[in-house]
Amino acid sequence: MSRWLATGLRVASPIALAFILGFLLFAGAGYDIGEVVNGLWQGAIAAPGSLEQSLRWAIPLAVISFGIVITLRTGEFNIGAQGQILLGGLGAASAALLLPGWPPALVIPLALLAGVILGALWSAIAGILKVFFNADEVINTLMLNFIAALLIQWVTTGPLKDDATRGETASTPRVDRMFRLSDGTGVSIELILIVVVAALLAWIIVERSPFGLKSRLVGSSPRVAAWQGLQIKRIHITTYLLAGAFAGLAGALEVLGPSARLVTGATPTLGFTAIVVAIVGMLRIPGALAAALFFGGLQAAILFLPIVSRLPSSGLRIIEGLVALLITAHFIWLRRRRNQGQNL
Amino acid sequence: MASAEIVLRCADIAVAYGDVQALQPTSLAFEAGRIHVLVGQNGAGKTSLARVLAGIIQPVGGRYWIREEEMRASSVQQARALGLDIVHQRFTLPPNFTVAEALELVSARKYAGAFYSNRALGSAWLRELQRAGVKVSPGAKIRDLPIETIQSLEILRALAGQARILILDEPTALLSPGGVGCLFARLRQLRDAGVTLLLILHKLREVTAIADTVAVLRAGRLALPPTEIAAVSEQRLSDLIIGEGGAGESQSQADEARAPELARTINLRLAEVNTRHSETEPALAAASLAVETGEILGIAGVEGNGQRSLVDVLTGLMPARSGRVELLGQDVTDMKHHQRRSIGLRVVPFDRMNEGASLPLSLWENVTVWNAETYRRSRFSPLDIGAMREAARLALDEFDVRYDSLDQPAGSLSGGNMQRLILARELAQGARVVIAAQPTRGLDFRATQYVWGLLRKLRQAGASIILVSSDLDELFSLSDRIGVMRGGQILAEYKPPFDMRIIGDSMIGAAR
Repeated sequence: MSRWLATGLRVASPIALAFILGFLLFAGAGYDIGEVVNGLWQGAIAAPGSLEQSLRWAIPLAVISFGIVITLRTGEFNIGAQGQILLGGLGAASAALLLPGWPPALVIPLALLAGVILGALWSAIAGILKVFFNADEVINTLMLNFIAALLIQWVTTGPLKDDATRGETASTPRVDRMFRLSDGTGVSIELILIVVVAALLAWIIVERSPFGLKSRLVGSSPRVAAWQGLQIKRIHITTYLLAGAFAGLAGALEVLGPSARLVTGATPTLGFTAIVVAIVGMLRIPGALAAALFFGGLQAAILFLPIVSRLPSSGLRIIEGLVALLITAHFIWLRRRRNQGQNL
Repeated sequence: MASAEIVLRCADIAVAYGDVQALQPTSLAFEAGRIHVLVGQNGAGKTSLARVLAGIIQPVGGRYWIREEEMRASSVQQARALGLDIVHQRFTLPPNFTVAEALELVSARKYAGAFYSNRALGSAWLRELQRAGVKVSPGAKIRDLPIETIQSLEILRALAGQARILILDEPTALLSPGGVGCLFARLRQLRDAGVTLLLILHKLREVTAIADTVAVLRAGRLALPPTEIAAVSEQRLSDLIIGEGGAGESQSQADEARAPELARTINLRLAEVNTRHSETEPALAAASLAVETGEILGIAGVEGNGQRSLVDVLTGLMPARSGRVELLGQDVTDMKHHQRRSIGLRVVPFDRMNEGASLPLSLWENVTVWNAETYRRSRFSPLDIGAMREAARLALDEFDVRYDSLDQPAGSLSGGNMQRLILARELAQGARVVIAAQPTRGLDFRATQYVWGLLRKLRQAGASIILVSSDLDELFSLSDRIGVMRGGQILAEYKPPFDMRIIGDSMIGAAR
């Protein structure tokens, strides 16, 4: 129990510090802190519909972060979730739009599966480049995000164009109501069930599968892994496939859930926030779930804030960024201290 | 050269790494304009002394002077300013740079200002290259150059910085015999031009070929102060390096311990295997060996003579360019390491902390991770963590590992305990062919005795063992046969009674 408490404190203290620093910054810039705190409280929890909004953002963040937990454990820094989400959304939207009138019991699983597969394949591109050409995964996954965004732009202005929409944001037509997993609120029993199943699956992969254990050895001690005969390339490729699968699932859930369509430039920060979620969750699935709820609340507050405060939304993004920075620095500091202990 | 000017002098220099005393207080002086050689076995303290002199590491005691100027704190800059530079065994020129860029970067000599053109830089360094007689284009990439050329550039780098005293740490380790000849010719030229050279070597033939004076370090002590090479016989030098107590001594409990009733088959065979050379070692050249049931084959040799390549090729971590590897009657030449393991190969790696055990993973994870698949009921059922912990507990207890909790990270174990953990993992089940690389390095007496006992027991049970070690006592007391490696070749094989002097000479290439 005391270990849980210690872990909680270790995670909570950098987050608290991030908020304090953020508030100091806002105060220095002349904003009313009371107003900001009120906006946070209202936006994440208190205002009508806020809890629902928090949960609505927690759902994709959680699902994406599961994949990122897996990649970080293998020692890979995959920042391509953003593109993988889009491909997942493309898969789901295509299935739902190209099979009109088919029974939902068939189309919904197919759409989810299409999202998972497209996300996984998109991620595998970076995995293959890494494993066979030793190309840096940070750059490749980042660049693939841009390619994915342009691909979606093409799809939504070309093959899957919605003739009804005008203006700057292109999108596909709306997905048929009977294929939807939730209404526009983005919260439903179906979505929550899918997240629970995904979490269970991810937990088994991470904590109860040979792959989960071996990927940790590859991530923490690659030379030991080689001397133990681990098939490092295979583990890397599997890691990328799984990461893309979870991100793709999240993208499919967006299309079948709250947004009802694939939109150009949709949810531009989810894939990056999910990295912070995974790290704050201490690279464990239950931790990531809890962190997703927290950052879901923050995301809801970010969108709500302009209603009650003069502080623009980007102010809270600063706090989000500070959390990521401080948590990462804290982790590196802890690791270094531990390593020094070993050398003594 | 009768000038007796002393350019390098040290008084009671001592070096320690943590608790390990690498160099006992040592006093030495070197004369100007000569080729001085420092010779000794691995761990004798040669490199430690060289690094102190070059200002890289701080001695725990003692003082030293470069050209009568006392070195204060350890500072590479001060040493260079006084005209002393070192060429390391591992080269320092950045591989992705061109020759001119790399020289400009690492040399104390600078041709470029804040702004420069590649052409100006190239022509400036081309003049230096021509003056030194190094035939290479200043625009060539370092990584594309042969080792001999890179080494010439390292020497040029130091001399361009006005070095008058040059230390070379094992400069011949990676060179072919022809390359060694060229290097020595160049070094003699430098000496005749007035440069003082201090070489660290460990092959006797090379020592006698190049040295003006020779000094011997053994186990951190000065066994022979700098002495005119003509005044020391090769025989005496060899005795000094290896230790007189060991000379002529032979010991083997090997035969009595061998299991007599086992059917003898060859379980591991290497036939005419060649490899590529690695960063640190020469290539294996037509290496052949065979190990029978219930036999320990010892591999002796000065470190860096191909032992790592040998183990890599036996385990499948490095491919063979040609030749054949057989394991328990199967041709495994093209098999990966995990496939060889599944046949019955087990390995105790050279480096406990980086190759043997994962420090952040827990004890039970370290023991079970390699064959984690076996701890589940079917392909699709989850791992049985209870069974894994139990298997790890049994293995750790059997091999007498002292620990508090199965969940503690392996990094919290002492060296001896960590080695026991590695042995427990490797030997607990199904070990038929074992490769033990430096299994007792850094271990205390008790832990060493334990590992030795274990290897003997394993042989009794019929395992075939290859024991790679730089500790001759270890090899003599365990091996049934000893092969000596030098320059990537397995030169000769010896049967008991082993003669310390003959094997030692063979290791360092002394001719009798």
